[in-house]
Amino acid sequence: MDHTPAQPAQALENKPMKIQIMLPTNAYFISGIRDFTLGLIRNMTEFSEQWAFRFQSVVDELCNNAIEHGSAPGQEIKITFINNQHDSIEIIVEDTGTGKVKLSAAEMQRIVNERRNPKYIHIGIRGRGLSKIVAEWTDELEFKDLPTGGMQVRIKKFLKDPALQQEMSKYLESPTHLVLQ
Amino acid sequence: MTQANITIEDIPATAAGVTAKLVKFQGQLDESNVDEKAKIIYALLEQFPQNLYLLFDFEELEYMNSKSIGYLTDWYGKVSEGKGKIVISKTRSNILDILQVVGLTQLINCYATLDEAKFALLQPATLPS
Repeated sequence: MDHTPAQPAQALENKPMKIQIMLPTNAYFISGIRDFTLGLIRNMTEFSEQWAFRFQSVVDELCNNAIEHGSAPGQEIKITFINNQHDSIEIIVEDTGTGKVKLSAAEMQRIVNERRNPKYIHIGIRGRGLSKIVAEWTDELEFKDLPTGGMQVRIKKFLKDPALQQEMSKYLESPTHLVLQ
Repeated sequence: MTQANITIEDIPATAAGVTAKLVKFQGQLDESNVDEKAKIIYALLEQFPQNLYLLFDFEELEYMNSKSIGYLTDWYGKVSEGKGKIVISKTRSNILDILQVVGLTQLINCYATLDEAKFALLQPATLPS
């Protein structure tokens, strides 16, 4: 019989909520992960509806990169959601490093930084996901080489951010106009 | 494969030599289906390389990933090269949000209604003389 004392309710409430998912490298499952992300953000965090959709895109882009570039067919990627109540959300995606293209964390960071430059001209169909969507909609984007040979990509978005003040209603009112900040 | 549909119908155009099409997107464009679905638009571009005016109806488009943005940018380039035009109508807020963050709304105008989009697409100033 386990006699470990139960944690006080307050401690439990402040403890980050962590959910981990192992996903096979099959793009067909990604729609389910998008739906899960939307539901998680809507129901378990204080982020707005707009941010729920944004994180849907962020997770989709991170997972696609991990599947397409970071892992061979038949492998799995790991997705971790960490909700720091009243503070932030972290999402971590790890691949196995068995993909076709082997880039280091430093190289990935360099590529993203290069493509984030407003003067950079995107040519071609690909290459916008990390720099244009993930980097813009997160406060922290970090690449890390794993001892196993894979790569970990971690993003974090803080709840209290001036950018969060922009509500979806502005887009609904005037969808033909850009909202300049 | 995630569900997505693209349907095309004609838009009556008054100017000679102009081909105008209403392209309706439904579902979600993601890594599982976007390459396949993009072929539909490329076939249209190949069939009408000049003076092609496209109205993309995004009312029932629920999601689009960065690769579909890449395709949209490529279509814009090809249509523009052929002296044509693309406009978008009735985007959902999350889709408009994606288009804005990648800067696509600076290239392609988005309209709240189909009528506004049709007017903008086929107004005399934008048609070939």
